[in-house]
Amino acid sequence: MAARTAVHCGLSGSVMAAPTQRAAGWGRRLCTAAAHRPWRLFGAMCLLRLPRITQPLEKEEEEMAALMGQIELEKSHYSDHEIRKLEEEEQLRRRRESSFDDDEAPSKTLIMAEDLEEKWEQKLLRFKAAPRITDADKNNNRTSLNRRLDSNLMLLVKQKIGNQELWLLPQVEWQPGETLRSTAERAMAAFLGDHIQAKILGNAPYGIYKYKFPRAIRTEDNVGAKVFFFKAFLQSSDLSQAELKEDYLWVTKDELGDYLKSEYLKKVNRFLLDL
Amino acid sequence: MRPGSCEHRRRRVVQKLSSSPRPTPTPPPPAGGGTRGGSRGPWGPGWGSTEARRGDALSDGRGSVRGAGMSAALPKVLCLKKGALLKQVFVLSRAATPRESCLCAAGGALLSCHRHYRSRPTHGIGRFQYLLPKEAPKKKKDKVQMKEINVGTEYEYGDVNIYMTSYDMCLVEHFAQYVHKLCNRLSVKVNESYAMPTKTNEVQLLEERGSKLQLDAVLTTHQRVVQISGLSSTFAPILLEIIQNNQPEGVHLLVKEHTEADFKSRLKSRPELEELLAQMN
Repeated sequence: MAARTAVHCGLSGSVMAAPTQRAAGWGRRLCTAAAHRPWRLFGAMCLLRLPRITQPLEKEEEEMAALMGQIELEKSHYSDHEIRKLEEEEQLRRRRESSFDDDEAPSKTLIMAEDLEEKWEQKLLRFKAAPRITDADKNNNRTSLNRRLDSNLMLLVKQKIGNQELWLLPQVEWQPGETLRSTAERAMAAFLGDHIQAKILGNAPYGIYKYKFPRAIRTEDNVGAKVFFFKAFLQSSDLSQAELKEDYLWVTKDELGDYLKSEYLKKVNRFLLDL
Repeated sequence: MRPGSCEHRRRRVVQKLSSSPRPTPTPPPPAGGGTRGGSRGPWGPGWGSTEARRGDALSDGRGSVRGAGMSAALPKVLCLKKGALLKQVFVLSRAATPRESCLCAAGGALLSCHRHYRSRPTHGIGRFQYLLPKEAPKKKKDKVQMKEINVGTEYEYGDVNIYMTSYDMCLVEHFAQYVHKLCNRLSVKVNESYAMPTKTNEVQLLEERGSKLQLDAVLTTHQRVVQISGLSSTFAPILLEIIQNNQPEGVHLLVKEHTEADFKSRLKSRPELEELLAQMN
């Protein structure tokens, strides 16, 4: 036990993957007092899919945008295309009024600006944008990655802790000799397979959740567990080779409350950035 | 009309306001001076009457000049008249207020923007340029950048470049502005914020069963760079996440460390110089 705790604090003190000052301080404090109450460490991964489209504007924002657009239009100068169009309209009008004088030779077999505009209009009508609200949204299928394209999606996995099945961020126990970040990566690989393209930005954890085991299981050496959260961003959104485990969900921040316990949820909400 | 003349006139009148009160009055402004040219000693017992006369003179003057040349002379005349009005106000209030507050009424020495002539004893008061340290002369040639230690004991990044690329110039400029202001707010030192030259691409459609390339569209790619330094490794993921979350549609974001190649890419290559160097070697 003493050896285990010694390794513990040695690692947290000198780990080259810079933990936050708070964790490092905690590690050092642990060295002195830890011989009595060791904690089990877990590394959890919060896998985020970034939004693909921007959120719709509020009513005031839309009005403001329309007003600014109007002001900008009225203050702007004519572009080359518009000048050309106006000139051609002038010419046409003059030609009609002067009743086929044709002093300017009709060598204008070039395309007129109006024709160009028509061509562009046709092209625009043929273009069809992808829908903002996808099928997965309509069916409320929370396992697909195609839902809620305008917000962050997080992966939740059902795990067995003790004798309970709980919805959690995927977590795996820390093993001596590895950094906490690699623990989290291992957790992600365990649930989603090896070929996940996710990027972790830093070596420091984003949050911590600690809990004590229920009295029945608690012993002198096994008081409770501390879970360190890391964040990763999904680079590519095709997970065809993934999904080994059974139950997984992709949820947004406001839907987290349906699945997570309140204490856990409080700690997780602290590091989630939702705009 | 010279734009400076009005101000010059105005300045001169204000100078007279702030100088010591003299027993004889200052001569009235020359325009419209025909009616007032001969007035002498209005400070005598006939003060009230003189005042009235002056007021009449003023109005007469204004009227006469207004009758005369309008557009060019009017602003000049109005300035003069305003100066004269100021002077009249000063004169009216002179009896009640002491000298120092008159100076304040005129705006104070700093605001009155007049310089003392060399013969005046107060010439040179307020000079301070000789106290400033001498600046080194500016070097023409630009030196290569200084590089910071990348991962030191403090776990800090060196110079980091944030590249933002898009087809839409307004969008990318606004985003670059946002990133710069965000770094200022979060006390991250911003070294530089510059733009790379615009690249223009012509999209040409090749028609089916034809060899003619038709011009379809012209796309311009704009790139803005914000260079920051002194980013700590504990803060870097947070900053990157904020920037990523606020990234607008259509803007491509790239964050990488600054290298000499990046620095060289901003400079224009001089082919003649290189040719000559190659010939020499």
